Amino acid sequence: MTPPPGSLLAAENLRKAYGPTVALDGAEFSIHPGEVVAVMGPSGSGKSTLLHCLAGIVPPDSGSITYDGRELAGMSDARRSALRRSEFGFVFQFGQLVPELTCVENVALPLRLNGASRKEAERAALTWMERLEVDGLKGKRPGEVSGGQGQRVAVARALVTGPRVLFADEPTGALDSLNGERVMELLTDAARSTNAAVVLVTHEARVAAYSDREIVVRDGRSRDMERAI
Amino acid sequence: MNVRQWSRDLGLGIRFAFSGGREGWVRMVLTAVGVGLGVTLLLLTTALPNVLAARDQRGSARQDLTYGAAVPPKGDNTVLVGMSATEWHDKDVRGRLLQPEGPRAPLPPGVDRFPAKGEMVVSPALKELLASDGGKLLRERLPDRIVDTIDEPGLVGSQELAYYAGADDLVASENSSRVVRLTAFGEPHPTTTEQPDPVLILLTLVVFVVLLTPVAVFIAAAVRFGGERRDRRLAALRLVGSDSRMTRRIAAGEALAGALLGLAVGTVFFLIGRQVAGSVEVMGESFFPSYVDPSPALALLVAVAVPAAAVLVTLLAMRGVVVEPLGVVRTAKQARRRLWWRLLLPLAGLGMLYPMIGNGRGHGDFNQYLVIGGVLLLLVGVTALLPWLVEAVVARLGSGAVSWQLAVRRLQLSSGTAARMVNGIAVAVAGAIALQMLFAGVESQYTRSTGRDPQRASMEIDLSDRSQVAVAAREFARTEGVKASVAISSGGFGDRRRDPATSAGITVGDCTALRELAHLPSCRDGDVFLVPGTDDDAAQQALQRPGRHGFIDPTYEGGERGREVAWTVPAGLRKVTARRDALQSSVSGLLLTPSALPARAAPTLYHQVYVRLDPSVPDANEHVRNTAAHVDRLANAWSLSPTLTSVKFTSLRTGLFIGAVCVLALIGASLLVSQLEQLRERRKLLSSLVAFGTRRRTLGLSVLWQTALPIALGLLLASTVGLALGAVLLKMAATPVTVDWASVLSLAGAGAAVVLAVTLLSLPPLIRLMRPEGLRTE
Repeated sequence: MTPPPGSLLAAENLRKAYGPTVALDGAEFSIHPGEVVAVMGPSGSGKSTLLHCLAGIVPPDSGSITYDGRELAGMSDARRSALRRSEFGFVFQFGQLVPELTCVENVALPLRLNGASRKEAERAALTWMERLEVDGLKGKRPGEVSGGQGQRVAVARALVTGPRVLFADEPTGALDSLNGERVMELLTDAARSTNAAVVLVTHEARVAAYSDREIVVRDGRSRDMERAI
Repeated sequence: MNVRQWSRDLGLGIRFAFSGGREGWVRMVLTAVGVGLGVTLLLLTTALPNVLAARDQRGSARQDLTYGAAVPPKGDNTVLVGMSATEWHDKDVRGRLLQPEGPRAPLPPGVDRFPAKGEMVVSPALKELLASDGGKLLRERLPDRIVDTIDEPGLVGSQELAYYAGADDLVASENSSRVVRLTAFGEPHPTTTEQPDPVLILLTLVVFVVLLTPVAVFIAAAVRFGGERRDRRLAALRLVGSDSRMTRRIAAGEALAGALLGLAVGTVFFLIGRQVAGSVEVMGESFFPSYVDPSPALALLVAVAVPAAAVLVTLLAMRGVVVEPLGVVRTAKQARRRLWWRLLLPLAGLGMLYPMIGNGRGHGDFNQYLVIGGVLLLLVGVTALLPWLVEAVVARLGSGAVSWQLAVRRLQLSSGTAARMVNGIAVAVAGAIALQMLFAGVESQYTRSTGRDPQRASMEIDLSDRSQVAVAAREFARTEGVKASVAISSGGFGDRRRDPATSAGITVGDCTALRELAHLPSCRDGDVFLVPGTDDDAAQQALQRPGRHGFIDPTYEGGERGREVAWTVPAGLRKVTARRDALQSSVSGLLLTPSALPARAAPTLYHQVYVRLDPSVPDANEHVRNTAAHVDRLANAWSLSPTLTSVKFTSLRTGLFIGAVCVLALIGASLLVSQLEQLRERRKLLSSLVAFGTRRRTLGLSVLWQTALPIALGLLLASTVGLALGAVLLKMAATPVTVDWASVLSLAGAGAAVVLAVTLLSLPPLIRLMRPEGLRTE
């Protein structure tokens, strides 16, 4: 089976087990540039594992993942790390900001890891912080800002490198509905403005509503809702 | 505040400590192991007085030196004991020849029956050594058949090399301490109380304070393992209605649980260590497990002080943490640390030591309480100053590479944790630097020159057999590894046959031997020379003039009868001067070549053989000892050293070294545990950093910087305080202040090595924690 034409990232027949627990059992996935795809499903269904496999964080036990026509499994760990630094962005449920760094330093971090100078990285970081309406927090540490603010800082950090794919794992899971909606608006607007694809893992229908397409994962198997219809 | 409320909250804390699931247990185990290691060291220290006392008692019980006391008459309850001690690769081998003189002859402790001639009873360690391939040379020296082993009561240490061999040719003599007649083994005289040396007492006190302070600092750090997770749990308690005081008490209860478990773990470690102590040897010293018995009062003090300290430290630490409900622990900027009260501690320490400056040895006493208090305050001052110093310095550090930035920012956010981690090392290094300075400064007072030059003579052999010197000299000359040897004999010459009013020494040797003692213009066999003594009186000068009659080996009242060999100082006597680098110290009197000595006088002399060894021949000194044992079982053979250092001084220095190694190892372990604990707490963050592409090298380097920065500052502070304390201690001992830079650098290097080792050891877990599995929540 070949990936759908024009897809940026696609996975076929993915299998992954953690000991006796089967997390993925023949899952399929594809996404096009600029597309927002929600991966939905109950807790423990394998959503996050699918995201980790797609992002090259965790290698699948079997199956294939192609990014921009290249097989992820064939890449070295260093190459996959470099890919994550330069072409992928990540937002996690609790932000996972480095508590010691200020907000602007957190946003600048991926650029600095890519070799940018501190000034250059922080200038770019500030631009993104303004877009996400958190530029007022630049000197504060994550422990000093609210959950919603922290999550917007995390989105800015994910977008600062201009990624082609943004992986968001329950980005609003720790936020109230108002904050969650604001974060989603900003995230999807920013991604669309840069033509970045967004893989959005969530179990909330109102969050999935920001996507163009939904894939449901249950017992390690995926089902494309659009195709199913 | 009431006791019931306190005990209820503490009890709740203890319950929480044990009910945190796997994570909670891991934290508890880490704390317990940390505290346990500290408790082990404390218990070992409390056992030290007993160890020393037990060794002393064992040594006294087998004492067989009579120190010149009158020889008792031969009887059915006497035994002759010949001193046949030797050395094996710089290790003492206690050897005795036993010859019972009757059926009621006393047995030495640990020996069930007298070995017959050709038999010996040996210590287990010696038995093992003799049976091994490595002990082949020693077996040549001790060829007797092993018939039994010496039991524990007859040995001072489990690894001691000792033997009792049977003999039938021993002769007791009042003129010789090589063979003694005994009616019982054991200290013949009650021990005289030796006036303690004030400087040695000062050193002992400081060694104890220096070694125990880091242990206390370490225990204080260990009870705070897992603090971040605990803070989150406490926040949850606040949510369900616990007030801030209750929260602190519950936290103290958790620490108490760790400390109590640590006490138990420490006791187990101690019991294991006690058994291990019986099978190891450190710096030539070994013990029996039964020696390592803590003093009950001190052990009780440890049992009470450690949990109390745990509660106190937690309560103090909690004062700086604001635990709020809703799972939030305020991590906003804390108030800046203040310097003034931190400076008060070391200043107060200096103030306590100041009155004793210049006391030295001559002016006697050092007030023990002031010394302990002063040193303690100075060292505790390091622990107070270090957090301020780390905070002040890291606040000024700019950002560089990502690894540096991550480390600096982490330190800026919680410099206290970092400072706590290195406090132990800083205190140990500060104390050790001060002590090294003190040791180096006063070493000359405890080291005297022997006047020996190992380049000219590597070994000296004192023979007990008075007649066989010529044979012995030939044997030594033929021994493997001997380059050259000379034999020198000595005796006495008096003006009267009995109880001479004036006497002089006579030294006999061939021309080669005499040239090792004095500058001889020419020499032939039969010549006699005089080296005038610097404090010879007129009578002595007269006795040593040509033509003067006298007696070699005169008889003295109360002693054995001498040979009283008549001799006249020959007419050809020539005055010569002693060599500055003479083979023997303080050469004076008459020097005779062999033919000048009456034949009857030869057996009255004491003989020494000096040998120069070929350093390229392995075990040359062991070959010489074998020859010595072959020609004379009671011969003493020892290697010559240019200096001799006081045994007590050396023991103390050895003690410091062993203690410092234990303390550094302990602190290294604590650093590692603390490091792992921090890494484990940041598992998710580390995984997410790796998820978005952070290189593992970057994170590894950041861990290194995070440890290295506070350590560098700690070592800097430790060196400063150590040098200041060293200078004060030297001034107290009235000794010029000099800095032993080599030891400062080596100790700082040892501290740095600990950091490097900890960083390297924490890398594998770091790499494991950076795996993507850390992102999983299910």
